Amino acid sequence: MQEIIRAENVRKVFRLSAKQRKLEHSTTGKKVALDGLSFTAYEGEIYGLLGPNGAGKTTMLRILSTLIRADGGDAYVAGKSVTREPEAVRASIGFLTSELKLEDFFTPAYLFEFFGRLHGLSAEQIAARKGELFPRFGIDSFAEVKVGDLSTGMKQKVSLVISIIHDPAVIIFDEPTNGLDVLTARVVTDFLRELKGQGKSIIVSTHIFSLVEKLCDRVGIIIGGKMAAEGTLAEVTGGEDLEEVFFEIYKKAVGEV
Amino acid sequence: MNNILTIIRKEFARFFRDKRLVLGTLILPGVLIFLLYTLMGSVFFDSEESYTVKVIHSSPEFTALFTPEEGEKSQIVFEEASAADADSIKEEIRAGNVDALVVLPENFGDILAGGFVPAPMAPNIEIWFDSAHTSSVSAYSLLSSVLDAVEDTLGSLYNINVTAGGNLSTAQEATANYYATLLPFLILTFLYSGCMGVAPESIAGEKERGTIATLLVTPIRRSQLVIGKIVSLSCISALSAISSFIGTFLSMPKLMGGGIGDMLASYSVGSYFALFGVMLSAVLLIVSLISILSALAKSVKEATTFSVPLMIVVMLVGLSSMMFTTSSLGACFIPVFNCVQVMAAIFSLKFSAVNFAVTMVANAVYIVLLVWILTKMFESERVVFGK
Ligand SMILES: Nc1ncnc2c1ncn2[C@@H]1O[C@H](COP(=O)(O)OP(=O)(O)OP(=O)(O)O)[C@@H](O)[C@H]1O
Ligand SMILES: [Mg+2]
Repeated sequence: MQEIIRAENVRKVFRLSAKQRKLEHSTTGKKVALDGLSFTAYEGEIYGLLGPNGAGKTTMLRILSTLIRADGGDAYVAGKSVTREPEAVRASIGFLTSELKLEDFFTPAYLFEFFGRLHGLSAEQIAARKGELFPRFGIDSFAEVKVGDLSTGMKQKVSLVISIIHDPAVIIFDEPTNGLDVLTARVVTDFLRELKGQGKSIIVSTHIFSLVEKLCDRVGIIIGGKMAAEGTLAEVTGGEDLEEVFFEIYKKAVGEV
Repeated sequence: MNNILTIIRKEFARFFRDKRLVLGTLILPGVLIFLLYTLMGSVFFDSEESYTVKVIHSSPEFTALFTPEEGEKSQIVFEEASAADADSIKEEIRAGNVDALVVLPENFGDILAGGFVPAPMAPNIEIWFDSAHTSSVSAYSLLSSVLDAVEDTLGSLYNINVTAGGNLSTAQEATANYYATLLPFLILTFLYSGCMGVAPESIAGEKERGTIATLLVTPIRRSQLVIGKIVSLSCISALSAISSFIGTFLSMPKLMGGGIGDMLASYSVGSYFALFGVMLSAVLLIVSLISILSALAKSVKEATTFSVPLMIVVMLVGLSSMMFTTSSLGACFIPVFNCVQVMAAIFSLKFSAVNFAVTMVANAVYIVLLVWILTKMFESERVVFGK
């Protein structure tokens, strides 16, 4: 088994503004979002980062996608360090979260071409990818409609195809099914399985247990910015219900604090 | 390089495909300025106004040049004067009692009548006025435009030197043209407002809507994104400024009662190149500055608020050339101020190549520095994700 993503002791501390400080009841003015997080994901697998709200999942994925920098430790994607070779990392990943918005003014077709060029694809490559992906997600029917006029689900599909336009080896999804109806969510999870079938490595974050059980080969449970349990799905659950296992781990982790 | 072009193309597409933006940034400013100035002109500049002009060696042929068209009132009242009174008339011009003094060659009437062949040297026509009085300036531009036309028709036969004479003003340093001092201010204001129309939207707006993060997860370098944005925003700001400038240009004769066209025609090709260079560096400076403020802001509204104090500073600096000009080299190191001073020097025909070169180099350094700062800001998560 080839390892594809490795996080080593990643630490991330946010400085809080006066307003945030009040909300978080913090006296130090700092929020430790990741407290020495380490994990390893392997090639050709789907890795699930599972954790409650505020555990640090989004923060970890943003560090992997080089959008933000770690304060300590390092992470490697396909052998490249996110701190030292951010451009190389970005070229090998597809990152998707609902926070990455597309400009309302443009059409899916225009944006697909624009991002294709930013990824260094030729016009022929872009056209070929478009021919593959647009029909696959039914984007053909609204390819020339401005993004601002699309529904949430349609926008999500467009974001999805744009994030994988360059056929990346590693795919990072933050809350892949958040805000989607069952049908669209199903399209997305089916597609993730298909990508896995093509030998891609995928890491997703979620707080939905059923999604992990259905989709993931390996799972890491994050609580309070630390890895509370990690392993293959079978190793972590030991054959029991994931939700029950999670509560036990959670009680133990919070009890420790 | 390719990535920079891709960004520029997208920014242009964003702008030029949006009819509202094109209308609001490119077409409306020019049209509004034209209408406003024309309106102001018809209120403030009274074309019925008449000027008192004393003429030494006057002749019926000369005053006939100013005969009004059928149905119009004569704009100039000519009074004959003797050469001995020249100094006292100049005093009266300074006092504002007389608008201008024209000193003609003794035989000018004969030259106009076409019956006299002058000595080989060109006859001098002196026009004296005082730029401290608007009516004097208007009288001057009226006189000189008519005499310029005469010079053109006689030009094949004789030379007339109409540029003799001059500005008697003690209110300020005499400059080649009264309006010239206003131009740097107008140019800066137009550049600034053009930039205000696009930069906050393109940077703070993308940040506010979360679209900038989508760009940042592509392999593009932050510096490429910054350069692409600054170049495209500068082009659009410059186009918007040109629109405003055309509006001003067309309405200037109405507003000032004088021909700005004559003035602009008097500059050499070289000074237009210099002017272009200075304006280019000014627009890049202003766009970079507003972009940095926009990157600091959390929303378009906040970016606009941040830019207001800077606008006041830039406009005041633009006005500075109306109060004083300096040729000191040290001034060339002060960004924006150096642009104003070089533009004022170009317009008043006192262009200095050294000052221009120092200004361009200094501004290039500032622009690189600002681009570097903006790149660093785009690398900072507090700036990109600051909510
Ligand atoms: N830019 C920021 N400034 C300050 N604090 C932040 C910032 N981003 C995240 N945090 C804090 O870091 C912690 C981890 O946040 P993160 O978004 O990573 O959680 P998450 O696991 O993705 O949660 P959720 O399931 O709700 O999405 C939270 O306490 C959050 O308030
Ligand atoms: Mg999250």
